[in-house]
Amino acid sequence: MTAAESSLPSGEPICEEEALARLRQSDDQSLQYYAAWWLGRTRSQHPEAVPLLRQALRQRQPRQEGLGVERNAVARNAARALGKLGQSEAVPDLLDCLDDPDHGLREAATRALGDLGATAAVPALCALLASGPLGAGAPVEGSTRLEEPCEALLEALGQIGEASPAVLSTLELFVNHGRPLVHSAACRALLQLTEEERWGQPLLELLQHPQLQIRRSALMDLGAVGWRPALDPICSTLAENSLKLIALRGLVENSRRDLPGQPDTAAVLAAMDDLL
Amino acid sequence: MICSEPPTALIETLIREVREADSALSLLQTTRRLAAAAHPEAVPCLVEVLGFNNPGAAVAAVDGLIAIGEPAVEPLLANLDEHNYGARAWAVRALATIGDVRGLGLLEEALGQDIGPSVRRAAAKGLGQLKLSALPGDEAEALRQRCFSALEAAADDGEWVVRYGVIVGLEQLVLPLGTSGPWRQRAGQVLERLASATSEDTEVVRLRARVALERLKQP
Repeated sequence: MTAAESSLPSGEPICEEEALARLRQSDDQSLQYYAAWWLGRTRSQHPEAVPLLRQALRQRQPRQEGLGVERNAVARNAARALGKLGQSEAVPDLLDCLDDPDHGLREAATRALGDLGATAAVPALCALLASGPLGAGAPVEGSTRLEEPCEALLEALGQIGEASPAVLSTLELFVNHGRPLVHSAACRALLQLTEEERWGQPLLELLQHPQLQIRRSALMDLGAVGWRPALDPICSTLAENSLKLIALRGLVENSRRDLPGQPDTAAVLAAMDDLL
Repeated sequence: MICSEPPTALIETLIREVREADSALSLLQTTRRLAAAAHPEAVPCLVEVLGFNNPGAAVAAVDGLIAIGEPAVEPLLANLDEHNYGARAWAVRALATIGDVRGLGLLEEALGQDIGPSVRRAAAKGLGQLKLSALPGDEAEALRQRCFSALEAAADDGEWVVRYGVIVGLEQLVLPLGTSGPWRQRAGQVLERLASATSEDTEVVRLRARVALERLKQP
């Protein structure tokens, strides 16, 4: 997360008209940047919000020196906001970003396509991953990144929910990736699409990982899937109660039904009461 | 020959081991040992551990403080870390579980004003857990009113987890009172709002509110 992004939520409150006006101008990118974030955050329903965000997404901008605003910062925020606003008309613009040279923009667009549940994006997302752990999943020299934003791509495929053989075999390529977060993203997506226990077990193991960051990530993954057998391991992992509560909310809301042999909704609620 | 160390010397050793812990794991293990002793002299050290950003050790420290109970209340009230909401959340959680009525003012303030949602949610639950029944009837009723007002005011908190905490707090506050008297009905009005999709957008909050409403209907 860049400095500009982490400071965002403390920005001054503005009204919707002001946000739209800031996005419409293009002289000051930092105003556009904030406006794009604001419209996503507030889930703006204004008819101009999506068209203006699509326009902002199509503008590729250089880094603005002196303001701490990154290259394509406005476009990235516009992509994130479009994901939150839930309007499928943004899908073609987001698809256009998937071959952009900017890794961060590809990642933001991927996550937005996942948020929108865009089945039209599945072939393109699979194509980005097709070269496997040694291609898409290879580390970029001199950077902490991989060639492609693999975590985002894997998670989006799980979120979109198309369990075709092509999707499953693409996801399985990454199950043994050396980075725990990529490994867990692949397992998470496979668990979402197949509900098979063999993909849940690795996530439970990550709840025992020595690094807190990895345990947190496994909590979020299990919550996103809503996999009920994870109830006790979630409660007993060493992590903040806040994150456990978010994960358990996921177990309640993202689980399709109460299944025999798995904790029911009442059991999850009781565990949440204990964590408050 | 059985030679038992004086307890204080043992506690001092356990405290020194916590202070000298040089990794997250050893902090967790030494805190667990100190907490298990449940000795009042461990309180300052356990309170300190709440601020170390080590969730496992903090859980152990909270358990220890709860086991120590009453002697932990004043030190917890006096050492609330205004700069660290993680530490405040653990401290409020300990106070909430101990249930000592001296914590009421702090719980009210935490629920109404703290910037940390984790602090507010712990305070909400705590307002349902104060040991009011040990007090004379009219005194208990006055404190109950304060708990209820604080919870009612927090029912439209912007964070879902705080509203969830309000439900649990209300349920625990009024459930022991039985169906006679006004409290269950008053709590029910707040819970109805939190159970309704027109006023509450978080599914898990609505589900929990419905569970509480069901329980309030039972004798």
